[in-house]
Amino acid sequence: MRPGSDRGRETITVAVAGNPNSGKSTLINAVAGTRLQVGNWPGVTVEKKEAHLVHDGHPIRLVDLPGTYSLSPYSQEEIIARDYLVQDQPDVLIDVVDATNLERNLYLTMQLLELERPVVVALNFFDEVRKKGLVINIQALEEALGVRVVPTVASRGEGLPELMAAAVQAGQNGGRRAPRKLAYGEDLERAAQSLEDRLQERYPGLAERYPLRWLAYKLMEGDQMALQEANLDAEAAAWVSSAAAVKHLKSSHDEDLEGLLAEARHGVAAGLTREVLKRPGWSKVELTERLDRIILNRILGIPVFLLAMWLVFKLTFDLGNPFVDWVDGVFSGPLTRWTTALLTWLAAPAWLTSLATEGVIGGVGTVLTFVPLIFAMMFFITLLEGSGYMARAAFVMDRAMHLLGLHGKSFIPMLLGFGCNVPALYATRALENPKDKVLTALLIPLMSCGAKLPVYALFTGLFFAAHAGTVIWSLYMAGIVLAMVMGIIFKRTLFRGENPLFVMELPPYRLPTLKSLMIHTWEKGKHFIIKAGTYILAVSVLMWFLLHLPWGVEDKKDSVLGKLGQGLAPIFQPLGFGQWQAASSLVTGFVAKEIVVATMGQIYGKEAEPEETPSLGDDVKDIAMSFGKAVMDAGSNVVSTFGVATLAVEEDEKTKDWRDALQEQFTPLSALAFLAFTLLYMPCMVTAVAYKQEFGTWKWFGLATGYGLILAWLVALIIYQGGKLLGLGG
Amino acid sequence: MIDVLLAGPIIIGALYLLYRSLWKQRGYCPRCDSRTCPVKLDRKNP
Repeated sequence: MRPGSDRGRETITVAVAGNPNSGKSTLINAVAGTRLQVGNWPGVTVEKKEAHLVHDGHPIRLVDLPGTYSLSPYSQEEIIARDYLVQDQPDVLIDVVDATNLERNLYLTMQLLELERPVVVALNFFDEVRKKGLVINIQALEEALGVRVVPTVASRGEGLPELMAAAVQAGQNGGRRAPRKLAYGEDLERAAQSLEDRLQERYPGLAERYPLRWLAYKLMEGDQMALQEANLDAEAAAWVSSAAAVKHLKSSHDEDLEGLLAEARHGVAAGLTREVLKRPGWSKVELTERLDRIILNRILGIPVFLLAMWLVFKLTFDLGNPFVDWVDGVFSGPLTRWTTALLTWLAAPAWLTSLATEGVIGGVGTVLTFVPLIFAMMFFITLLEGSGYMARAAFVMDRAMHLLGLHGKSFIPMLLGFGCNVPALYATRALENPKDKVLTALLIPLMSCGAKLPVYALFTGLFFAAHAGTVIWSLYMAGIVLAMVMGIIFKRTLFRGENPLFVMELPPYRLPTLKSLMIHTWEKGKHFIIKAGTYILAVSVLMWFLLHLPWGVEDKKDSVLGKLGQGLAPIFQPLGFGQWQAASSLVTGFVAKEIVVATMGQIYGKEAEPEETPSLGDDVKDIAMSFGKAVMDAGSNVVSTFGVATLAVEEDEKTKDWRDALQEQFTPLSALAFLAFTLLYMPCMVTAVAYKQEFGTWKWFGLATGYGLILAWLVALIIYQGGKLLGLGG
Repeated sequence: MIDVLLAGPIIIGALYLLYRSLWKQRGYCPRCDSRTCPVKLDRKNP
């Protein structure tokens, strides 16, 4: 299998459907070599996505549909999946079934078979089936469903060539599959048949476009969207109450038709599972159940979550901090020296050297210094996601949020916001209710995204070095708590309404492979490097000019940025950081939160004094040796784990200058107020664009910014003034 | 004069880079490379 196209043959369109978290995206990634977003929690795929490949000379277009439990049009995922399957009529459907959860997954299989398209079932996670001692009779399942069933382990690529061969074969059979073998009971089928006959008679030609039995089921379910799509008029809808067979069905079962159909599908799925699945003795309590007894415990659940997050931050700093020192040393030492030497050799004007060293290296370099921390944190968050713990964290928080009158499902996008607020905003699409969607989007900026980490790391390193992990953990938790408080306020004012029940699938615990951890850590973390090379670079250059205009200005305080900072500084005076430097940094931080650090690096940075420069060879040797030391330090920090690493950066003379200046201007209390303000004050510019794109209006971004600024100011005020009243310093 | 000739293009370049990365590409998020980027999908299917 290889990505690409083959012009010789017609492309086969293969739609990949399945329950959330059944491994669809992993399967497509393995088959097509793409890198679709994957996570061991439901709802990773909200919109449909495509990949192209060639299998055995056949060009294939793979369409990854959102994970759904059914094809009833209740959530956006279900509507997207169903619309595509019914309107676009792919050549083949691959139904990815979580083989460890056969009965529940077969419910969707029943509905896919109703569409009368060729189906191939991928029994995924088949390795776990074997591990659990379960036995699935594949042949019996194939016979019962009337389709090919292929066992797969998508994460390891097992069974995928066979699956694609089966899909190609099914796709070449002319589009229609053999008549469905499974039936929903005599009464129901008779009622459906009578409606199908009427459809055939009244709408000749309809069968060319839609499977009539499926439309008959939709008539019985009263599915208005499907009926409108097929242009069925009111007369057709009225048949449901007039057809004798349907009347008989209703009178003999004391339930509505939609409920009867759902019950019938569940019945077939359960019966089929009993037929084909053999379980080992039930005396053995599985590891997942044992762990869940603690992790999902009503009392222990939240403390376990808090502990897990604390461990993430602790390990992040233990692992990342030695590399922060190393990158810092490289940027402020050899790289600055080499740049200066090169520009001097090129006879560049002095201001250009200053722009390159103070502007670009001082700005972009300061941000890049913290990239190891960002990668370390993304690694641990990916580990939690892949292990299945994050889904449980959402479940635990769901209970707490419901107690407060909030929708628990909102917590999933909020957890995604720990990485970056932008994909978190897009993840709100998984919420059915538009009010919940907007409400969740308004709360996401309160989550500490990775971009805020450099600001936290800089200040905690200077003021709370011994307890860096704990202080940063507190900031993250403060974000969650304030999001809940704001959620309650919004829910009781702007977004009144009922909370729908949140049914959350809890995947089994899995140990992600190192390869998949590395890939997804890189996927999550690399955009911070790309940001540094694009708009952080651009802003750093512009900021340098703003700090040096009017041309030739002696003191940065008198520059354009200095004047702007001075104008805004009084607003921050009661919060303990009324200096123009802090105000200017917060203004530029609107573009991206890392720029707060980049701005400080430039404002407080001083022109390097001429010094005795080591040779290039000495520099390279020094870089290699200090990297080796960083690896050793990180290793010993993680091994000796708790309580060792601090964020006390081993400063060289240049970085020491501006860090000293920061320590002169801030106290621990005002630093904490500044961190709280940075956490809360407003979404960044990219998030602003995402708001506009997702909701089609600037209104919600305006509200998020407005309340964020007020909340940030009030919280920082309480921290600073409250701390002073308590005698914690000024 | 030389300063203006040098500084002008640098400022224009930085402004263009900012416009291109923030507005035209509407920022960069972890999903931009994963074929799920809604911006790219919008562009493909306007």
